[in-house]
Amino acid sequence: MTLLAIETAAELVGVALADDDGPRAAVWVRGSRRHAESLAPAITHVLEQTSTSLRDVEVVAVDVGPGLFTGLRVGVATAQGIAQGLGIRVLEVTSLAVLSHAAAEGGWSGPVAAVVDARRGEVFAAVTARPGEQPGPALRYRPDGLARMLDAVAIEAGGPVLAVGNGARRYADDLADARRSGHVVLGGMALADPGPAALAAVAAGRIADGQAPVPPGEVRPVYLREPDARINWVQR
Amino acid sequence: MIVLGIETSCDETAASVVVDGTEVRSSVVSSQIDLHAKYGGVVPEIASRAHVERLTPVVTEALARAGVERADAVAATYGPGLVGCLLVGLSGAKGLAMTWDAPFVGVNHLEGHLFAPLLEEQDLGWPLVVLLVSGGHTLLVEMRGPGRYRLLGQTIDDAAGEAFDKVARYLGLGYPGGPVVDRIARDGDPTSFAFPRAMRDDGYDFSFSGLKTAVVRAVERRPDAATADVAAAFQAAVVDVLVTKAARAVAEIGARGLCLGGGVAANSLLRHRAQEAVDVPTYLPSLAMCTDNAAMVAAAGTFRLGHDGPSPLALAADPNLFLEFRT
Ligand SMILES: [Zn+2]
Repeated sequence: MTLLAIETAAELVGVALADDDGPRAAVWVRGSRRHAESLAPAITHVLEQTSTSLRDVEVVAVDVGPGLFTGLRVGVATAQGIAQGLGIRVLEVTSLAVLSHAAAEGGWSGPVAAVVDARRGEVFAAVTARPGEQPGPALRYRPDGLARMLDAVAIEAGGPVLAVGNGARRYADDLADARRSGHVVLGGMALADPGPAALAAVAAGRIADGQAPVPPGEVRPVYLREPDARINWVQR
Repeated sequence: MIVLGIETSCDETAASVVVDGTEVRSSVVSSQIDLHAKYGGVVPEIASRAHVERLTPVVTEALARAGVERADAVAATYGPGLVGCLLVGLSGAKGLAMTWDAPFVGVNHLEGHLFAPLLEEQDLGWPLVVLLVSGGHTLLVEMRGPGRYRLLGQTIDDAAGEAFDKVARYLGLGYPGGPVVDRIARDGDPTSFAFPRAMRDDGYDFSFSGLKTAVVRAVERRPDAATADVAAAFQAAVVDVLVTKAARAVAEIGARGLCLGGGVAANSLLRHRAQEAVDVPTYLPSLAMCTDNAAMVAAAGTFRLGHDGPSPLALAADPNLFLEFRT
């Protein structure tokens, strides 16, 4: 099955094209914060490099977050447009599932905490007992609350929890005590923003497991935060 | 050429199919007024979320009503507007264009408004004076033909529609302010208060921020004044300034018509006064063509495509985009 994976949930913008043997091509740019400018040309590039026509794509996988709201919407709206134009469906994958999968690829076998920077001094986090499993429900934490939660997970599991994602790196100092006490192991940079090939791999696995893609009009970003109800009087 | 237009710059999710730049085959608008009413204005994050939910069904409906499965080109507003909102329509449009192997063209929302009257009036005489008034913009433009504009003046602070919203909110009339003030003002005496007409006889720029302050002060001084009287006097002041400047522009330029556009162009007093104030034809687009819609985006996009060619797929949203004035 030919799958196009779109990753814009964090500061990384990436696209991968995959078939039944795995990713065939992937491009990504980290830290540019130019999701809307980079995404469509990246899709074109990946298609060209694999001599694939968009019409050959059978499913679009998109990272629905949680993450940066604007980035998420760029990815979701692009996925919707492509799926609508092709008459195909969209597979929704959460950013936390991609992180958990990346931890499994790295060879870790204990519990994993996927931690995404939520801005405003908070993170979105979800824990899986084993890497690669579907994460439990994501919750919002302040850094001290995250540290307490991870302590509890490690104590219950009888071993350290691997914290991955850009939220874990950003608040590494707040996890210092938990790391010293052996409750938390901090994932490396490669696990902070796994990128579009990891998304494609998770999506392929989900399809194999029978998760149904949804019609494009039903794709929804996972915000995990109520909208800020501030009126913008300027520039409307 | 069949062009799909997409508009998501503020609180309307809209899609439209226009053939050859003039024939509107469908125009679908999903308004978010209900979502923003309780806040008394457009909340950007709420609007952005709603666009993601509504864009796909709105595009589906526009294509279905037009009886087409795809378009030859896709046009989308890329500014000015709320950046989070613009990005949704822009991204969806790029996705559709890529799958159809069709050119994508970014449209300036303001230029879209200038194309709106062309969709309803086939034989306009040039040059035209266009008064573009909405919650986001207040512009007076000399239009010498499609793509040929000269800016005469614009607001230096609040937009006219913004003044309506703010005054309506202050008077407890709800949101949006334009229609409710228009309705209530009919029972009021416009001479009951002498509100300021800022810069009325001075150039073509506008200023409305002082007017809201004047309304607040007047109500504080006369708390028992009838709301209808306040609304009527406020509306008369806004319309007086708009019409005086527009009529002066028509005379000075020797324009062959006066055209209104934008949501405030639905105001009944403005429409009435504009017709009285000039002896050239006045073009008053239908309400649907005054307010934000995607047919005007498809029409402007068709023109831009022929004039400048397609936009790059890397085109970014520009919340502060200005109309480039070319004569
Ligand atoms: Zn507008």
